[in-house]
Amino acid sequence: MTPNQFTRPIVWIHGDCLNPYGPALQAYPGAPAIWVWDDALLEEWRISLKRIVFMYECLLELPVVIRRGDVATEVLAFAREHAADGIATASSPSPRFRAICDRLRNELPVAVLPVEPFLAYTGRLDLRRFSRYWATAEKYAFGQKPLFDDQ
Amino acid sequence: MSSNMRRDFASRDELIDYLRREFPQAAARSGEVSATRGGRREAEARLQRIDPQRYAATRNYLDGAVTHLSPYIRHGVLSLAEVRDAALSRVRRPADAAKLVSELGWRDYWQRLYERLGDEIWRDQEPYKTGYRASDYASELPDDIIEGRTGLACIDAFSRDLRATGYLHNHARMWLAAYVVHWRRVAWQAGARWFLEHLLDGDPASNNLSWQWVASTFSHKPYIFNRENLERFTNGIYCRTCPLYGRCDFEGTYEELHRRLFPNATGNAG
Ligand SMILES: Cc1cc2nc3c(=O)[nH]c(=O)nc-3n(C[C@H](O)[C@H](O)[C@H](O)COP(=O)(O)OP(=O)(O)OC[C@H]3O[C@@H](n4cnc5c(N)ncnc54)[C@H](O)[C@@H]3O)c2cc1C
Repeated sequence: MTPNQFTRPIVWIHGDCLNPYGPALQAYPGAPAIWVWDDALLEEWRISLKRIVFMYECLLELPVVIRRGDVATEVLAFAREHAADGIATASSPSPRFRAICDRLRNELPVAVLPVEPFLAYTGRLDLRRFSRYWATAEKYAFGQKPLFDDQ
Repeated sequence: MSSNMRRDFASRDELIDYLRREFPQAAARSGEVSATRGGRREAEARLQRIDPQRYAATRNYLDGAVTHLSPYIRHGVLSLAEVRDAALSRVRRPADAAKLVSELGWRDYWQRLYERLGDEIWRDQEPYKTGYRASDYASELPDDIIEGRTGLACIDAFSRDLRATGYLHNHARMWLAAYVVHWRRVAWQAGARWFLEHLLDGDPASNNLSWQWVASTFSHKPYIFNRENLERFTNGIYCRTCPLYGRCDFEGTYEELHRRLFPNATGNAG
């Protein structure tokens, strides 16, 4: 996805990226942004009040409108209110996130923008055990400064 | 369309009152509020305080120099890359931050597996290596664990802390999970659901896959501990007051405990 592909986007903020420097808010500063409390998820996971308080405090430091209900329905309603031509959001591995994006795409294009990666590496990784993953990942986990120079 | 929720609060107490009214079911389940505040400002303040060298030397101790950054990382308030860069800026040689960076690697690893597994993370990835079948494990968590009245001072304190603060040290998570699965023979899924309800950093990937690692459905052997290990890394704070000291469920060598807990397992305690 190329950023700035939309002229009147909204930003959808979700629980895996409550960061004012997240990729969607960075790509579209000033765009109307929305958070939706997923009422079904809160019940399904029996989320306790203390988690809600913690997340609400995170939201209060972000430039977002806060609503609740069915996430896709509310995000699309918000997009219509702003006559948006697209929805920008940050990536997430969650299957629920993917399902919501699929529903949004029925009405509007969605740009899923990557969060800054931990590893400066896009090649193959063996995920069977942590030790196998780390055998490769360690070389790329230290950002610009490699830990072990080739000697 | 629903209306906007409030954003203006004079104090934290006012926010909490508002959320109690807005989310009465969550408040009825467990009305506690953690002292840990959300938000980027608090996250950055905590990031300033990390000490990667002391972390490496003390992280296994309950009072060690762990970062308490997990709720912020879990919700992307801070990215792993930001935390890594902050850790590297705090040391002279990158190797001095290696332990902390490798722990961040665990999160990256679990997230990559989640991308691949999706909701399969709720299923046993492999059979238990305990000599028991999955069907031998109870599907519900016993009340005495949830309510913190097993009589074991350590376990009861971990249970209460989980509920009151939404945080447990990594070692406490491992001990509590091992107690649930191996001493009480409860399916890891029941424990994982309990943790996700309360942990401010509750994350389906890190949580479920760590439970599976303890249970042995995602590792070569079950994780267990003994009283000596717990006493050492807690500096004895629970054992000292425990009425069961010297005769608790965790007494014995690893070999003895392994034989007692897993009489039908093939292989050894190793
Ligand atoms: C049974 C069990 C359940 C767990 N559930 C969760 C969970 O729901 N969410 C969660 O974030 N972590 C979970 N962990 C991993 C770990 O216990 C916590 O991340 C850590 O204790 C958080 O405290 P800290 O921020 O002070 O950690 P630090 O030791 O200071 O580590 C820094 C950061 O590295 C990451 N990290 C460190 N260790 C691990 C690990 N083993 N796995 C994944 N990430 C790690 C975390 O993001 C953490 O904030 C679980 C571990 C166990 C054994």
